[in-house]
Amino acid sequence: MSNLAENIIPDQEPKIVIRNIGRTFHIKKSPAGPHDFVALQEISLEVQKGEFVALVGPSGCGKSTLLDILAGLAKPNSGAVFIDGKQVTGPALDRGIVLQGYALFPWRTVRQNVEFGLEIKKVAKGERREISTRFIDLVGLKGFEDRFPHELSGGMKQRVAIARALAYDPEVLLMDEPFAAVDAQTRETLQDELLRIWEETRKTIIFVTHSIEEAVFLADRVAVLTANPGTVREIVPIDLPRPRQNSDIRSSPEFGWTRHKIWELLQNQPPADHRAGEQRPVADAISPSAAL
Amino acid sequence: MFDKIDTIKTHLLRWSGVVVFLLLWEAAPRLGWLDAQFAPPFSTVLGAIHELAADGSLAKHLVISIWRGVTGLLVATLVAIPAGFLLGLRLPVWAAVLDPFLRVLSQVNPFSLMPVFILFFGIGETAKIVVIAWVSLWPILFYTITAVRNVDPLLLKTARSLGITTGELYLKVILPASLPVIFVGLRIGAGLVFFMIVAAEMLGANAGLGWLVHNSAMNYQTPRIYAGATFIVILGYLLNRFLLALERAFFSGEQEQVDLVPARRSSAPSWRPGWRSAAAAASVIFVFLLAGGREVYLSNLANASLGGHLGHQEEAGEANVEYTCPMHPFIVREKPDVCPLCGMRLVRKSDAAHGAGH
Ligand SMILES: Nc1ncnc2c1ncn2[C@@H]1O[C@H](COP(=O)(O)OP(=O)(O)O)[C@@H](O)[C@H]1O
Ligand SMILES: [Mg+2]
Repeated sequence: MSNLAENIIPDQEPKIVIRNIGRTFHIKKSPAGPHDFVALQEISLEVQKGEFVALVGPSGCGKSTLLDILAGLAKPNSGAVFIDGKQVTGPALDRGIVLQGYALFPWRTVRQNVEFGLEIKKVAKGERREISTRFIDLVGLKGFEDRFPHELSGGMKQRVAIARALAYDPEVLLMDEPFAAVDAQTRETLQDELLRIWEETRKTIIFVTHSIEEAVFLADRVAVLTANPGTVREIVPIDLPRPRQNSDIRSSPEFGWTRHKIWELLQNQPPADHRAGEQRPVADAISPSAAL
Repeated sequence: MFDKIDTIKTHLLRWSGVVVFLLLWEAAPRLGWLDAQFAPPFSTVLGAIHELAADGSLAKHLVISIWRGVTGLLVATLVAIPAGFLLGLRLPVWAAVLDPFLRVLSQVNPFSLMPVFILFFGIGETAKIVVIAWVSLWPILFYTITAVRNVDPLLLKTARSLGITTGELYLKVILPASLPVIFVGLRIGAGLVFFMIVAAEMLGANAGLGWLVHNSAMNYQTPRIYAGATFIVILGYLLNRFLLALERAFFSGEQEQVDLVPARRSSAPSWRPGWRSAAAAASVIFVFLLAGGREVYLSNLANASLGGHLGHQEEAGEANVEYTCPMHPFIVREKPDVCPLCGMRLVRKSDAAHGAGH
């Protein structure tokens, strides 16, 4: 049970505070007639500086909606998000986003894509070049600077998207199923790379995925979301040793237990009225590994 | 290997069609299948072209028509792209309300709008440019509206997450993302330019390929009609090939689109012009516009003074009789004819206002 303390009592002011977020969509056209659809309800989460938090949940539970709110691209109907104690009111360069579809600008080369945020930030040309060179190296794309996106593989495109989000030096990286579109092998490589980059840059990362395995492999904590309405079911600390990249940690029994625990949480979703207000003790979530 | 043979085959097939057509054109009038009066053999038309080329008038007509075409297309582009951005992005309600109206306007036969253009712009150079701009405006406008509305939402989301300003979003994201589709509209618009050149140069012109066709028709110089028409077709073809080549160079990953705009295209440019080549292209166009404009101006000027001389001295006597339309007094012909604008029979000018004027 020794791992409990560090996860429950934060030793510093949290980097990100998500407080009672609610988001309702007004559906005008549906067979059931116009109605309000609650996508997110009372979402609360605190993320420490430099922490890696994964969000898992079934499709449609509001993960992307939550990430949009964190990015400042959408406004919550209730609640608020604070970064370093300051309320988020819109998009800004202190957060970088990486999306599933790469979203590279097809008319820009790798270098020009990576420099996009720097142009918006009005960084001088010489410095831009220096920074883009550094981040292209960081994601392992040296030699591909002048390629266009359509000349790259899916994995390479995603590296460019990561380099682009890192280049303007945001403190928080928001990633929405970034590796969902690449094949399994590339995916594992990218996960290793991401952990290495995270350790080198010490960014705070919120990582959305629908792969339990990915969440367990990457994160310090995994927030398990449930659908209709989207709420945080439980926050599971992942007590696996680091560095995890380039290791066979995936085949360790601890990894298996943790993965199974999250899988169970996602399977046995309690009825809606049971959930409200109840937060299960974290100890439950990690009991298999604690028993070891 | 097979590819190569296939390409050669395709080229042979394509050009053999042209060759057969030219042979038929030569043979039909000679064998009496067609009346040589209305369809002179190809060699006769070549003779007319040679004549025109020899006295330098062909070059003049070409430069003047290209100048009018390019200027009209530029005007259309400069109006349609900002208008498309405005309607597509800023004024969606206006766009919805105006849509049926704009569709109708774009469908109206431009020839039947000629009197309106004359009313507003007279029969000077402006009217000709406006007529050309009018037809090429619509495809550029509609394609721009479609393009700016179908920019990949992920690109917009990524850009917006940086706190980008609206101006930067338009210039750095929406414009380049829409360019491949806008370009298709531009190419379609350009295709209509030379289609309209005959109509435009009917409006009190005195040079240009359209005028050549028109004037030759008035004077029953049939081979020259075909000579002019041939060059209009060739210019239209070359402009289309040029724009296609540009499109391939910029957006090569895309398939050739003729007139369908898919909701989202995977735009994949192989080359984008840098500032330097863009500036070079712009200055070439600018120099051409200046030189061509001078040519047009000189031609208009020369005709004005020539018209005076003709009327008073050389053509004095029986040739002084001119025919004009009672509705459109600026339509003046040396022979009895019908008005090209309204189809009414022309009356002797001396019977009408002419006598009073002198
Ligand atoms: N703009 C919108 N209008 C209406 N409903 C929406 C909108 N965006 C998302 N939703 C709904 O909200 C729910 C959550 O969506 P999303 O955040 O994309 O889920 P996830 O990313 O977890 O798959 C879905 O049921 C979706 O249909
Ligand atoms: Mg999603």
